[in-house]
Amino acid sequence: MPLQNKPTTTLTGATGFLGSHLMASLLSEGYEIIVLGRSNKEETLKERIFKLLRWFGIEELAIQLELIEIDFLKPSLGLQESEYRELCAKTKQIIHCASDTSFSERKRENVLISNVGSLKGILDLAIDSKTDFFHYISTAYVAGKSVTVCKEYLSSSNDFVNVYEESKAQAENIIAQFCEKNSIPFTIIRPSIVYGDSRTGRSLKFNALYFPIQSVKYIREIYVNDIIKNGGKKSKQFGIFLDDEGYLFLPLRIYLPNKGALNIIPVDYFTNATMKIISKGSSGGIYHLTNNSSARLDIIAVYNEKFMKLKGVEIIYGAPADNLLRNPAEELFDRFMEPYRFYLSDNRVFDRTNTDIVTDNLHPPEFTYEIFKNCMEYAISVNWGQSIF
Amino acid sequence: MQNNINKSDKVNTPYEIARNCRHYAMCKIDFLGSGVCESGLKKHFVSFYPQGRMILYEAISENRVPVTEKCVEIADSCNLCGKCDYQCYFLNEMRPTKVMEALKNHVDTFIKNGGKVKLANDDRLLTEIKKIVGENWASNDEAITITYSHDLSPISEPKIPDCVVMPYTKTEISSLVKLFNKNKITYTIRGNGQNLLGFAVNEGVIIDLNRMKTIEFDEKNWCVKIGPGVAAFDLQKQAQKRGYRINASEPAALVCANIMCSGIMSTFSTTYGINADNFIDAEFVDKDGSLFSLNDPSSPNLYSYKNLEHKNSPGICVSASIKLHPVIDDERGILVPFQALSKAIDFIRDCSIRHIGLALGVVGAEYISTFLSPTKKSASEIKDIFIDKLDIPYLVVVIGDKYAIRSIDEMGYPYFDQRLFSVLYLGLQSLKSAEWMGLIKELSDDEPYSYLRIKSFPDLLETALSPSPVLYSKEIDPDLRPFFEKLFSSQEMTDLVWLSMYRIMSTRLGRKKPFLPVLIYLPIDNILINELNDKFRLIADKYHVDNDFGFITPIDNGKRCIFEYDYFFDYNDPEEIRRIRLAGTEANILVDKYSIKTGTVKGHQYVLYQGFCRKENLLYS
Ligand code: SF4
Repeated sequence: MPLQNKPTTTLTGATGFLGSHLMASLLSEGYEIIVLGRSNKEETLKERIFKLLRWFGIEELAIQLELIEIDFLKPSLGLQESEYRELCAKTKQIIHCASDTSFSERKRENVLISNVGSLKGILDLAIDSKTDFFHYISTAYVAGKSVTVCKEYLSSSNDFVNVYEESKAQAENIIAQFCEKNSIPFTIIRPSIVYGDSRTGRSLKFNALYFPIQSVKYIREIYVNDIIKNGGKKSKQFGIFLDDEGYLFLPLRIYLPNKGALNIIPVDYFTNATMKIISKGSSGGIYHLTNNSSARLDIIAVYNEKFMKLKGVEIIYGAPADNLLRNPAEELFDRFMEPYRFYLSDNRVFDRTNTDIVTDNLHPPEFTYEIFKNCMEYAISVNWGQSIF
Repeated sequence: MQNNINKSDKVNTPYEIARNCRHYAMCKIDFLGSGVCESGLKKHFVSFYPQGRMILYEAISENRVPVTEKCVEIADSCNLCGKCDYQCYFLNEMRPTKVMEALKNHVDTFIKNGGKVKLANDDRLLTEIKKIVGENWASNDEAITITYSHDLSPISEPKIPDCVVMPYTKTEISSLVKLFNKNKITYTIRGNGQNLLGFAVNEGVIIDLNRMKTIEFDEKNWCVKIGPGVAAFDLQKQAQKRGYRINASEPAALVCANIMCSGIMSTFSTTYGINADNFIDAEFVDKDGSLFSLNDPSSPNLYSYKNLEHKNSPGICVSASIKLHPVIDDERGILVPFQALSKAIDFIRDCSIRHIGLALGVVGAEYISTFLSPTKKSASEIKDIFIDKLDIPYLVVVIGDKYAIRSIDEMGYPYFDQRLFSVLYLGLQSLKSAEWMGLIKELSDDEPYSYLRIKSFPDLLETALSPSPVLYSKEIDPDLRPFFEKLFSSQEMTDLVWLSMYRIMSTRLGRKKPFLPVLIYLPIDNILINELNDKFRLIADKYHVDNDFGFITPIDNGKRCIFEYDYFFDYNDPEEIRRIRLAGTEANILVDKYSIKTGTVKGHQYVLYQGFCRKENLLYS
C-alpha cells in the first residue's frame, strides 16, 4: 500500500498517556501533526500540549504541530465549515487514540459515549478527508475474560471485565465495518497494560501497575509513622513492627482467584512498535502489543518488598474464607486492588503473529527489578503524578 | 465563590480586636465550660461583659466617650481572668483580654494623670425609672449607654441611647411602659427579637431584659416556662440535665426574643418544627403596659401570618412556655457526604418524608471546615481538602436513633459515623499533610466514598491521623493550648449530637468575616434550590462579596425547607458595607420575584415579629 513517506497525521488523544508518547515519537521522526483535542477546566489545549512538549524536551518541534479544538459529538467536529474543509484537506492519515480509560461501572455512560458514541465524528473525518490510513489504538483486552488465547481478530465476546474493555471491543467492530465499507485502509493496535519508559522509568500515568504499589507505600508510611511517633500502639494490634534492619513487617495477604500474571509493556516499546505498524501495517491488520513474559504478582511483590523495605506480603490463590479476619491494611489494599484483580491473575495468551511480522520481532523487555525500581523511583519523585509538571 | 482572607486577619492591637468584636453575645454563655465573665453575671449590663468592654474601649480610643464613673467600675471589675480569651479565640481567633488590659491601663493612666472622672447625673426620668427597677438597674452613664449602641447585626447604624434600664419582673416592665408612654419617651427592647435582626439600637431608652432569667420546668406538661433573659444554650443545658431537649436556635440567642423575632429554627426543626410548634404559651406586655397571654381567647391572634415586611411588634414578650422533647439513649450523629447539592437535597427529602432522623441539615464544605478547624488558616486548607481531595463539597448532618441510622445504612449511603468524625476532627492537623489522601479519591472512582464502607477504615484513619486533643491544639496560641487540650478531651466537643443540639457547629462561621444570612422558606425542590443557590452566588460575585452556601433543613415532613445562603463582609470597611447592602437588597428582590413566580417561596424578612405564627400560616398561605 503506497504511503507518502511522512504523511500529515491527525492525532486524537494527544493529551493522554499513550497519545502524548505517540505525538512525541511522530514529531521526532519529522511528521507534521494536527492534534484534535479540547481544553479542560484549568488549561487550554495549547497549554496542555506545550506542557507535554516540555516534559518530553521537544518544545522546538512545536512548529510541526497544529492544534485544533474540536467536539467529537458535534457535526464537522464542531468546526466552522471552512475550518473543517481545511482539516480534511490536510489530513493524510488519522491515529485515533482518544479514549476514556475508566473501568468504573458508575461511569458506563460516559465511557460508552467517549469510546463509542464519539466515533461518528472521527470516522466522518476519515471519509471527508479521504484519509490514506486510519489507525485505532485499542486494548489487548477486547477478547473477553473467558477466552484463553486472544487472537488478532475482531472480538465477538460479550463477557468483559469492565466497561472499558466492552467499549473498546464495540469501537473496534464499528471502525472495522465502517472502514471496510468505505474502503478506508485501517489498523487496530492493541496494547496490553502500559507502564513507564523501561530505560528511564519516566511516565505520565500511574494507575494499573503503580496503584497497588502506591497504596502499599502509603500503608507502610502510616504504620512506620505510628511506630516512630506513637510507639506503635496501633501497629502492635495487628502484628506490624519494624525489624532491626529497618524492614517493616506488614502482614498483607493478597488473595487472587488463581495463578496468573500481569501483561505489561513499557511505553517505549508501545511507541516503537506502533511507529512500525503505522509505517508498515497492512489494512485490516490487528496487532497485539503484548508481553510474552508477563509479570507475576508474586515477583512484583518480591520487587516491592526489596524496594520498600517491607516483609510479610503473601500471595494466596483461591477465594478467602467468608469469616476471614483481615487487618486494616489488608482490607484497604484489597479494596485498592479490586479493579485490577482480574488482570493480576490473568492466564490469557496473546497471539502476536501479525505484530511479530510487522515489527520485525520487536518484543517488550521482561519486567526486571531494575525496570521496576526505575519506574517506582520516578513515580515517587513526581509524587505519583501530582507534581509531574 | 470568593475566599479572600479578610483584612482583619491580623487582628492584634487592642483597638483592632475591639473593632472586630462580632457582638454575638457568646461571651454571655458558658459554651466552653470555662465559666462566664464574673462581672457580667453580677452586673448584667452588657457593659460588664467582654462584649461591652470591647465596644467601650473602641469608643474611648476614638474619644467618643469620656472616662466616667461607670467606665472606672467597668474597667476595675475585670480581673483579667482570661475566660473571654478562650471563648473569643474559639470563635474568632481573637484575644479580647488585650482589650481589657488596655481599657484598665487607659483608666489607670487617666486617673494617675489627674484626669477628672465624669460623675453620673440622674435626670428626672432616670430617677423615676430607678424608682421602678431599683437604684442599680438603670443608668445614663455614657460608658453604659455606648455599649448599647451596637448589636449583633453587622449592618445596623450605631445609635447611643439616652439611658438603659434592666427590669426584673413583668410588673416592672409594665410600669416602665406606662411611664414612657406618659412622658412620650421612645423605648427599644433588648431581648425582644429586634436585636436578632439588628433593630435593637435606638435613641431614647433601652429596656434590657437580660436579668429576667427564670427557668421553671413543668415536666408533667412537657414544658418549661422561661423569662426573656434566658439564652438558648442555658435553657438547653437545664433541659439536658433533666433528660429533655428543647429546639434551640443560636446558643447565645435569647429564646423569647428568638420566637418573637422569627421563630426558633434548627436542624431539629425537621422533627420539632418551627414557629408555633415550639411553645405552648407566652405572656406579653402590650404597648399600653397591659399584660396578656397568648392562650387567652381575647388576646391578639399572634398565630396568624401576613406577608408584610414592616410589621409592628405585638408587645414585649415577658415569658414563654417552651416545649420539652424526649431524648433517646441511642441517639447519635453521622455525616453523609455528597458530591452535588442536588443529591444531598434528594437525600434529606427522602429522609424527612419517611421520618428518618431527628435532625437533618445540608451543610457545605465551608461550614464544616470552618467548624472543624482551630484557626482561619486551617479552615481554608481543610476546605480545599474537603473539596479537592475528599470530593466532599456537601454533607448532610443527621442526628437519629439507632433505627434511623440503620435505615440510612439500608438506603445504602456511606457516611462518617461518630467515631470517624472524632478521628477526623482531632486528627485534622495530620490530614493536611497526609499524602495518602490521593488514594482516597481513587477509591471513590467506582462508588463515591466507598472507602467509608471498609470495615477497618476508622482504625486505619486513626492510625494515619493519630488524633488527639494535643495534636488538634498544636496550632493554637501556646498559652491557650492547655485549656483547649482539656476542652477537646471532653467528649462533648466532638459529639455530633451535643454539637447539633447546642448549635455549636455554626458558631465559628463568622470567624473569617461576619456574615449576613439570606434565609428563605421554600419547597424541597432541587431545581428551584439550585437555581436560587446559583443566583445568590452570582449576585454576591457581582458585588465582590465573599459568599457561600449556608445550610438547608427540611421542615414539615419534607414538604418545605429552610435555605440559608451567606454573604460575608468586613463591617469595618465602609466599601464592603456598601456592597453588602446592594447585594442584600438584590437578593431580597430576587426572593420577592420568586415568591410571586412560585407562590411557595417566602423570604425570612417577612417573618419579623411574627415568630409566634403557626408554621402552616407562614408556609402555605
Ligand atoms: S478577662 Fe475580664 S472581661 Fe474577660 S472574662 Fe475575665 S473578667 Fe471578663
